[in-house]
Amino acid sequence: MRLRAWAWLALTSLPPLVVWPATRPRYGGTLAVDLSAAFNTLDPAELPAMLSPSIAETLVRINARGEIEPCLAVSWQREAEGKRWRFSLRPRVVFHDGETLNALNTGPLLLAVLKKTYPDVTVTSGGQTIVIQSERALPDLLPQLADSRAAIVRKTETNGLIGTGPFRVASWEPNRRLTLAAFEDYWGGRPFLDSVVINMGPARATADLFDIPFAAARRILPETVRIWSSQPRELLALIASDVQPAAWQALALAIDRAPLVNVLAQRRGEAAFGLLPQWLSGYAFLFQSSPDAARARQLVAPLRLAALTLAYPSNDSFARTVADRIALNARDAGINLQPAPAANGNVRLIRWQLGSADAATELARLAAMLGTSDRAAALDLAKPETLYEAERAMLDSNRILPLLYLPSLYGLAPRVHIRETSPKASALTPRLENLWVDP
Amino acid sequence: MSFRTKVLLSITATVVIAVWIVAAVVSTLVTRSFERSDAQRTSALVAQFRREFDRRGAEVARRVEAVASSDAIERIAVNLSGAQPDANQYFDQAQALAREQSLSFLEIVGPGGRIISSAEWPARFGYQEAWLAEAVDWNSAGAFLKREELADGSALGLITVRAVKAGDRTLYVAGGLQLDKEFLDSLPVAEGMRIQLYRNFEPLPPPESLGSKLAAALVQEVRQQPHELTRTDPGASITAIPLFGRDHGLLAILLVENSRAELASLKTYIQGTAWAVGAAGVLLGLILSLWTASRVTRPLRELAGSVREVAGGNWNARAAVESRDEVGQLARDFNQMTEQLAEQRDRMIQAERVAAWRELARRLAHELKNPLFPLQITVENLQRARQASPEQFEEVFRESTTTLLAELDNLKTIIGRFSDFAKMPAPHLEPADLNQMVRDVVKLFEAQVRAPGRAPVEIVFDAGESVDSIRADPEQIRRALRNLVLNALDAMPKGGTLTIRTQSLNGAGSRKVAVEVSDTGEGLTPEECQRLFTPYYTTKQHGTGLGLAIVQSVVSDHKGTITVHSQPGQGTTFRIELNA
Repeated sequence: MRLRAWAWLALTSLPPLVVWPATRPRYGGTLAVDLSAAFNTLDPAELPAMLSPSIAETLVRINARGEIEPCLAVSWQREAEGKRWRFSLRPRVVFHDGETLNALNTGPLLLAVLKKTYPDVTVTSGGQTIVIQSERALPDLLPQLADSRAAIVRKTETNGLIGTGPFRVASWEPNRRLTLAAFEDYWGGRPFLDSVVINMGPARATADLFDIPFAAARRILPETVRIWSSQPRELLALIASDVQPAAWQALALAIDRAPLVNVLAQRRGEAAFGLLPQWLSGYAFLFQSSPDAARARQLVAPLRLAALTLAYPSNDSFARTVADRIALNARDAGINLQPAPAANGNVRLIRWQLGSADAATELARLAAMLGTSDRAAALDLAKPETLYEAERAMLDSNRILPLLYLPSLYGLAPRVHIRETSPKASALTPRLENLWVDP
Repeated sequence: MSFRTKVLLSITATVVIAVWIVAAVVSTLVTRSFERSDAQRTSALVAQFRREFDRRGAEVARRVEAVASSDAIERIAVNLSGAQPDANQYFDQAQALAREQSLSFLEIVGPGGRIISSAEWPARFGYQEAWLAEAVDWNSAGAFLKREELADGSALGLITVRAVKAGDRTLYVAGGLQLDKEFLDSLPVAEGMRIQLYRNFEPLPPPESLGSKLAAALVQEVRQQPHELTRTDPGASITAIPLFGRDHGLLAILLVENSRAELASLKTYIQGTAWAVGAAGVLLGLILSLWTASRVTRPLRELAGSVREVAGGNWNARAAVESRDEVGQLARDFNQMTEQLAEQRDRMIQAERVAAWRELARRLAHELKNPLFPLQITVENLQRARQASPEQFEEVFRESTTTLLAELDNLKTIIGRFSDFAKMPAPHLEPADLNQMVRDVVKLFEAQVRAPGRAPVEIVFDAGESVDSIRADPEQIRRALRNLVLNALDAMPKGGTLTIRTQSLNGAGSRKVAVEVSDTGEGLTPEECQRLFTPYYTTKQHGTGLGLAIVQSVVSDHKGTITVHSQPGQGTTFRIELNA
């Protein structure tokens, strides 16, 4: 009996070794991927975050800690108080069609992208050097260049996508299937997988890799499936459209986030008290608070509130359940909040995808969404204290009430392995070039 | 109102009342029959509701027991009985189980009454259902009604609870079915019936949503005093049955409505029939009245005609006797009575004639005896004077012849009066002024009443205004007035007031004048008043009894009337009315 107990203890200690074994990766094989969300374009900005960097790369990229790291550019220099930036391109990088990456073919592509954000920008190309210049400082240029919209890609006549990533597009059926093949000449070395077949539609647990959307009902998964969870990269929040400030404050006090995290998100998410998650801002813990239904009732009592509508995205069962719970909390505080699948209401429940790993960029996006970008732009968001100040101001504007941070969840079949490369690897999605499979 | 009309009304009233009574009785019987039928149908439906309630309760219990014994609940129980229980992962378990067992409500409640999973309100996990943790043997308890809180309001549920052991703790499974429209629709409802369920936790709906004001009032009444009630109005009969929960609180009211439209229709038919029969009865009454008039009232009308003829002076009139019934007997009696009256009248006329002759003879004897006695004395005085005092005979003769001649004149006067009365001429009618005629008469007597030694009599003439001229014989009218004035003066030997008053009596369709002559004398007794106008009757010592008879004769010849009003000691008034 004691022997069996020891054996059980040994086995329970194994999973970390099994999941991320220190064994040597194996080359070859095809990875079957099921994605629940369909897409009908190969535009890097529209592709799922897991796929975009595997096909099209950017000059720089943001790692899991929010730091800018080299990608197609090996180095850069900030000159003239941020008005001029000089990038040195990585040598011996070729596109999927065999053309070598250089400043001449990269410059125009960059210019086209940057013009959308900086109308007066100019791009000068020479050899492996690209100079980006503007009349005004470009403090957020690096996050802009790390965005998938600034990916260095060309499109073929058949709307194919030619990038520099570890995988090239082998075949493409919009909204149905995308097949990627290993790019033998990838500057970072050939990926382990020979090919990746991505099927779109309702995710099945039979694929090697599949995404697991948050839903009202838990998904029953085979016991052998492992779950890969990203850093929190989605924010569930309430947006006020037409709510008295006192009622909004009462609602903020009435909401108990613990059941949302522990029950509805099954501990996969985090309670959100700030707009940016802790991993992105580093100060999110400063916004923490506790629910106080009694105080909420005191605030509501003199208001004579009419019924308020809580709009949540239709066809989103998880959002509906969250909305129902919020309505229940609100009712305890004396607020009649009526959940409804609609686009507009007195209160809206939104699911905000963090599109960037840069805190300042993300906060600016949120400010733009809330219509407070003017105030955010007036601050130097590069400094953590001003970033905090801006976020504090946005929270105090009684326009947005954070509820939950949700990660991206992926199911991994037992044959799939992840090679941990460096601590700087992105933790927002599993990287296809880091995966390998058993035969 | 004519006899025919009375017959018609009698028959019509009889028919209408009879029809009304029959209609009322039939209507009452039908109403009672319907009410009995309604009560029976309502009782049957209520019994069916209770049976269905019990059946569904048993079904709910079976389903909840199936849930309680399912692997999912067992897994939760095992988890909760472990060292590190984690119920969070089961928050959506109830929905799947409820779907499997087709339950409207299902809650999995952990020890202490905290909801682990709720099918009807998934977001309500973690909330308390303290009532489940009460000391109740849930596994032997049956189904009961309970108000279930939902995200969008409340619902009425038929609930069963089962307890599942989780180590030394207890897990509760509370499930049930909603008592909704589907439940009501499953009940066998007869035609004309309708059932509604009012949930007591809802605001009182407006009458139109309950179908009628009666239903709303009934709900209100049962809410105040929860007991079974039945109310009826012309449109429907509604029974309200209170439904209670575990804590005996009123949770709902079952309204069983029986339409009375059929009854109303039948009543309308009965009323229509009654009207038709009534109308036929009135028509029948009309026909019967005509028939009755022809068979019954015609002899009566003929009899009435005969009576009028007799009253008009035709004593020979006779009623036709055509039947042997009461009317025929009446005609025979009438004829017999008329014959007897004619005979009596003839006898009375003869008696009156005899009496008149006797009175005439008495009066003549009396009138003639008065002058004859002085004649006899005078003649006897002459005889004695011739024998005893021939020297004085001449003187006695002259005196006696004077007396004899005076008495003979008196006799001639008496005879002339009788002659005048017998020779009353027919009036010669011409326009005449009544007031002027009265003034002429008054003027005639003015000197007499002012004669020395006579008791004073004041003559007052009250001439009426707008007294039109009349068609009359002025001489006869003056003569009648003179007699009345003379009579009045004779009635006031001690003086008094003589009042003559004229007035116009214009009525509808006739124009008349009246003249009254009143005195303030001793007055007359009723007996004297009755005999006053009889010829030769007088209350005076030296009257002929012809004065008032002449007055009545004049008035009668002028188609007028004369009346007398008198009371002893209060004077007498004669009133003559003449056509203008």
